[in-house]
Amino acid sequence: MAVADFIISLLTFIAIYSLFGIGLNLKFGFTGLIDFGHVAYFMIGAYVTVVLTMPAGAAGYSGIGGFALPELFGVLGPIGSLFGWLLGVLGGMIAAALVSLAVGVPTLRLREDYLAITALGIATILTTVVNDEEWLFNGPFGINTVHAPLRDVFPLSLGSFTLNMAVFGILSLAAFGLTGYWLARAFRRQGRRGKLVLGVLVPLVAVWYFVLPTLSDGMVELTRNTLWLFDPTAGPKGGMDYDRFVLLLSVAALGGGYWLVERTINSPYGRVLRAIREDEDVPRALGKETFQYKLQALMLGSALAGAAGALWAINIGFIAPDQFAATITFYAFTAVIVGGTANNKGVILGTAFFWGIRNGTRFIDVPSQYSIQLAASRLMLIGVVLILILYYRPEGLLGEQDYDIPLPSRDSSGGTDDV
Amino acid sequence: MSEQNTPTPTPGVTPTDSPKIGDDGDPILRIEGITKQFGGITALDGVDLTVDPGITGLIGPNGAGKTTLFNCLTGFHKPDDGRVHLYETDITGKEPPAIAQQGMVRTFQIPRELADMTVFENLLLAPMNQHGERLRGAWIRGDQFVEEEQVIRDRAREIAVFFEIDHLLDEPAGSLSGGQRKLLEIARALLTDPDIVLLDEPLAGVNPTLEQKILGRIEALVEDGYSFLLIEHDIDLIMDNCERVVVMHQGAVLTTGAPEAVQSDERVIEAYLGGDDV
Ligand SMILES: Nc1ncnc2c1ncn2[C@@H]1O[C@H](COP(=O)(O)OP(=O)(O)O)[C@@H](O)[C@H]1O
Ligand SMILES: [Mg+2]
Repeated sequence: MAVADFIISLLTFIAIYSLFGIGLNLKFGFTGLIDFGHVAYFMIGAYVTVVLTMPAGAAGYSGIGGFALPELFGVLGPIGSLFGWLLGVLGGMIAAALVSLAVGVPTLRLREDYLAITALGIATILTTVVNDEEWLFNGPFGINTVHAPLRDVFPLSLGSFTLNMAVFGILSLAAFGLTGYWLARAFRRQGRRGKLVLGVLVPLVAVWYFVLPTLSDGMVELTRNTLWLFDPTAGPKGGMDYDRFVLLLSVAALGGGYWLVERTINSPYGRVLRAIREDEDVPRALGKETFQYKLQALMLGSALAGAAGALWAINIGFIAPDQFAATITFYAFTAVIVGGTANNKGVILGTAFFWGIRNGTRFIDVPSQYSIQLAASRLMLIGVVLILILYYRPEGLLGEQDYDIPLPSRDSSGGTDDV
Repeated sequence: MSEQNTPTPTPGVTPTDSPKIGDDGDPILRIEGITKQFGGITALDGVDLTVDPGITGLIGPNGAGKTTLFNCLTGFHKPDDGRVHLYETDITGKEPPAIAQQGMVRTFQIPRELADMTVFENLLLAPMNQHGERLRGAWIRGDQFVEEEQVIRDRAREIAVFFEIDHLLDEPAGSLSGGQRKLLEIARALLTDPDIVLLDEPLAGVNPTLEQKILGRIEALVEDGYSFLLIEHDIDLIMDNCERVVVMHQGAVLTTGAPEAVQSDERVIEAYLGGDDV
């Protein structure tokens, strides 16, 4: 596997889990709701979307459905089919939100730790039900007839090999440029220490990504890594393969979720959420119906987890109950806490960090008799890093984010408009 | 908001300049037979009380049940027995947000600033019925959203100036001194545009200069038509500043009246000198 392919799969992973983490951050970071059952909504989103979008009577499947929404709208062409899939995702998100409503109504009125305990229990029960009740979603055999939106459009070829290479190449380079610019800006704000980190990190990554593959596999590999959106082996004329599309789709979904949560918290609504996190009695004494707010935050965060689940299904192409173990929730908590609780950028950073270590170390070549030790030491490394961060930077790498409700400027006498 | 008030288009957002007192000077609060027990302890034993517009002092030795009475009035505790009327509305057993929306807000004995939010944000939180406080309003931002937020910011700055905490607006509320926290709590409560504010020991642990400042502020606000029920256990302070005084002892109202009358009441002297710590 070329390095570019590995990076694409890793980035897809990070984008999907970041969306999952941003949902958790809305609950935990901004509202203070400890939901140890977050993975349940990931599972519900995945299953409901898959069942709504896959064809009926699929071989080897004996559960409810499928309902073939993309096929239904497919008469309108590929766009119709995509719309059908999006409807399926919406269904998955709504289902996740509704289940969280059912969990929230009895628990959110109680003390905050009740949610944590109850949610963990309910998530475990849900996974067990999906696993044991075969009539529901095929039980432990899972579903391998996941509908992949626009699958037959790919590999996407724009015509000639050169045109493909030029268009996707330029897009790839632009993405490199933007990332570089953004990284440089982010690190410059960190002062000398930031420059040092950047100065070490960039050459290391450059050597690993560009130089080493070229040395071992030659110019084709270099081209592949540089023009990463362009896959020369995708069809006779080259083009963009489906994995790259799934990455873009996941990044777009992450962008959407990020925007929505930012919009939600940078508002008077978000002020109430944070007030609930700090001390719920205060907003209550000021006339805010905090129960409604907590319920809505729970549902919105769960819906985002559901969307992440839908993407997970197309990325893996197969879903089964054992993919949704409670550990996934705790991975997300780790990512949120490492990156910075109540910081959406921090969630992405923490997720990248977590999955970078978790999956990135697969590339370390060790004699096979040590591979089990390597797997164990990965988690150990993450654990050590988590402890170090909790000790030296309890607020996480980035700390809580700043808030701002932008208004057309008028006067700013007295206080500030940056809230 | 009580029915006595002229309705404002967006309550809490538009400051009401009309006096808050009903024209006929009806009592604001009618409390009848409020009882509250915690396990074996009877914290409130049939409290009967009428609170008129203006400033009313509530005194009594430690453990007399003053804070518990506030908790029962504002919905933080459910009374075991008895009724509370805010103007004509029966608010017994309602939830705190509903009671605050009716026009009665409270502060806490130990100030509860939202420590990680700025002083400004603490204040901006308070005004009621903000358009952007609903999910739809926050997502789809019309002109109303912008206008309201601007009005609210102006009001928050104004009241911060009034309480002389305007230089602290950008500080995290957790960095304030004890006295500043008390001021912030009062300012925040007032921004809900209430009819009556229940202040739980706003003067405790506050230095004498600030004490006078807070009392001066409260008097100015009474002129504007706000009413206050104020807990304080320094008897002299209450006597000098309140129009009426209520004395509580062992979960019941001992006596009510003008400061001079209460001060010379033998039962009050007895409760203070004979009873628990003062
Ligand atoms: N939440 C509670 N649980 C148990 N006992 C309480 C509680 N709140 C108050 N009390 C008891 O009720 C009595 C009155 O307390 P409180 O209302 O705080 O008095 P005050 O404010 O007048 O000093 C005290 O004996 C106190 O111990
Ligand atoms: Mg008290």
